[in-house]
Amino acid sequence: MAFCLAIAGTFIFAFRAGRYTRRLRFENEPIRPWMSVPFIAHTHHVPSALLFHAIGIEPQPHDRRPLATIARERHRPVEDLVRDLERALANAGHTHSSLEPPGGKAP
Amino acid sequence: MSERILAALAQYGFPALFAVVTIASIGVPLPVSLLLIVTGSLVAQGVMPLWGAIALATAGSALGDQIGYAIGRYGGAKLIARFGAMLGGPERIAKAEAHARRWGGPGVFLSRWLVSPLGSVINFTSGIAEYPWMHFLFWDVLGEALGASIYIALGFFFSDRVLELDAALGDFTWMILALLAAGVVGWMLWQYVRTKKG
Repeated sequence: MAFCLAIAGTFIFAFRAGRYTRRLRFENEPIRPWMSVPFIAHTHHVPSALLFHAIGIEPQPHDRRPLATIARERHRPVEDLVRDLERALANAGHTHSSLEPPGGKAP
Repeated sequence: MSERILAALAQYGFPALFAVVTIASIGVPLPVSLLLIVTGSLVAQGVMPLWGAIALATAGSALGDQIGYAIGRYGGAKLIARFGAMLGGPERIAKAEAHARRWGGPGVFLSRWLVSPLGSVINFTSGIAEYPWMHFLFWDVLGEALGASIYIALGFFFSDRVLELDAALGDFTWMILALLAAGVVGWMLWQYVRTKKG
């Protein structure tokens, strides 16, 4: 029984690891509240100035504040900032699952 | 919790990295692999120097491991007296100590990077088993340096895919553990069948 469980576990985790590895190649990194604007710009290969402008901040090269901190300081829900950033990325040619309508890509 | 830790790393850099890896190595469950991968990504972005990141992650992890070892070595007897029944009784603990002595160096080394979920348990059992501290320190620093280098290098090379990379590596680690468990149980089964036949 224990042997069968261990073998099953090996296959399940191998399958999951393979699925995540495939995603590594094809999907864009989701945006999280802990990420800074330059970090998001790096993961999406866009200039950070584009994203700073999208959330109404003057671009600063050493601004490493996480989105959650920016949201708190500006009295805005962090989800709003994420939405603004996703929209800017979509306009720059990137897509995110949260922006895509069920039948296709975001406008 | 993960969000706060990663936000601290993104904002404060080295002090946050050192504090988190130290605390995690003592045995507090924190997302260290993701932290190291994000560190690699920050190195790729030019926010942190590569060798500084590896050295600090190694030093912090090794410090936490020494604390875990010391707890096992100097407080182990008291803890066993108090919680021994919960850990499976004196016979089982004696078996774990014997394993720690037998697999000492390689066990410490591999649990730093290949089967890292076992790391803090092995620190503790190595201390209880009174595995020589200098040997423990040697294998520990070697393993932690390799582990930090692997995770930070992966974060460096896949700097734009840190979340998916962490998920893939997490499942890969559990796959290795399940494979090891299958190997051990399979070997025990084979021994049992062989004894029955003989």
